[in-house]
Amino acid sequence: MIRTFGWNEFLFILMAIRWTIALSAIAFIGGGIGGLAIALARTSGDKVVRQATAGFIRVFQGTPLLLQLFLVYFGMAVVGAAINPWIAAALALTLHASAFLGEIWRGCIEAVPLGQNEAATALGLKWASRQRWIILPQAARIAVAPTVGFLVQLIKGTSLAAIIGFTELTRAGQIINNATFEPFTVFSIVAGLYFVLCWPLSLLARQAEIRFARASAR
Amino acid sequence: MTTTSETAAEAPRKTLETAVRMEAVNKWYGAFQALKNVDLEVRSGERIVVCGPSGSGKSTLIRCINQLEAIQSGRIFVDGIELTAGGKNVDAIRREVGMVFQQFNLFPHMTVLENCTLAPMKVRGETRDAAEATARKYLARVHIPEQADKYPAQLSGGQQQRVAIARALCMNPKIMLFDEPTSALDPEMVKEVLDTMIDLADGGMTMLVVTHEMGFARRVADRVIFMDRGEIVEMAPPDRFFDDPQHERTRTFLGQIA
Repeated sequence: MIRTFGWNEFLFILMAIRWTIALSAIAFIGGGIGGLAIALARTSGDKVVRQATAGFIRVFQGTPLLLQLFLVYFGMAVVGAAINPWIAAALALTLHASAFLGEIWRGCIEAVPLGQNEAATALGLKWASRQRWIILPQAARIAVAPTVGFLVQLIKGTSLAAIIGFTELTRAGQIINNATFEPFTVFSIVAGLYFVLCWPLSLLARQAEIRFARASAR
Repeated sequence: MTTTSETAAEAPRKTLETAVRMEAVNKWYGAFQALKNVDLEVRSGERIVVCGPSGSGKSTLIRCINQLEAIQSGRIFVDGIELTAGGKNVDAIRREVGMVFQQFNLFPHMTVLENCTLAPMKVRGETRDAAEATARKYLARVHIPEQADKYPAQLSGGQQQRVAIARALCMNPKIMLFDEPTSALDPEMVKEVLDTMIDLADGGMTMLVVTHEMGFARRVADRVIFMDRGEIVEMAPPDRFFDDPQHERTRTFLGQIA
């Protein structure tokens, strides 16, 4: 029997947005930690560390996110872990975000003039202090806009987790569509919800960009 | 103000102590040799001015002293501590050596006061109160105590460079390195920075100064070094250096900048 698309169906889709937000948040926080480590490694003085992390970034930038999800999902079975879409999606997106944020933040760190690091070094500040007090605070200002921009990509990217059976916004849409056969209505609503989630962030990114341009023109 | 050393007898100009010694120092950038077998001994309290054409190795020379550049061979001693090629004692040495850069390199996200207190607090473990008291003392000494709460971008170039000098002094260095401190300044601001450096020299600070300000060299330097292609070509007291240079290359250089 075919259900008609009504209020309950809409609510089912709307409620699934929390899983999209949760998955995005986990990937963003995990990716933030991983990305910071990678960005610091990429800008370190140690050649081996630099190249190892460069390889990591290249792998994740050079393969589709969907395949990264597949590889983590099926890879868990290979190493004998129980297949769990939650863990697989969170892990794959965290690795993905780590690689991309690492590369974005590497650029921001390298945009801080070399003289800043030299002055801090000459004052006797060690590596960790230089990063904490001098380099990262300046890099962070440059990083706001591209980081928010990537967050938007990441939120949209979580829709791929539907394919490995993770019930988030897109998957909820598929489920409702399978019951109602009203694909245009259903997926318009799904797309609309992504838009509501992402558009304010895009605005924020643009504002941050304008603010940064103004601040650096001073 | 309590009775500080400002009116006290002039500090002894120099002692026999060695502040910096370089022995057969070699430095390459890839195939380019930036320093060739450099030997140099700087006594405590001495003021050395280093000049030479661009690319002659003069900046490299002073940047080796606090290991902003690593050397490939030779030995460097700073304040009796050997700076091994592996850079083991480098932290100890950087605490003793202050540096002022051509581009000031103030931290733009911090106020003037924060620029001056960061290293004393993080490196020397001073309390905020102690660090701020020291910072205000040195900001007064470079004649900008009223700018303490401003950000570097709000100051003129000359003021920024004086903050940079104060920032270095806050670490109580025994030796000060100056890497073309007036080269990035508008002409009308050169004097205020040079006056600050002269004041520092009169206080007995050991100084190595890379500069083309020959008036400063004449007035302040104990010895002037001319470098070319990574070598120390000539080293002499300023009178002899300027009035009777021994080497053809020195004469050519002095002719060009005069």
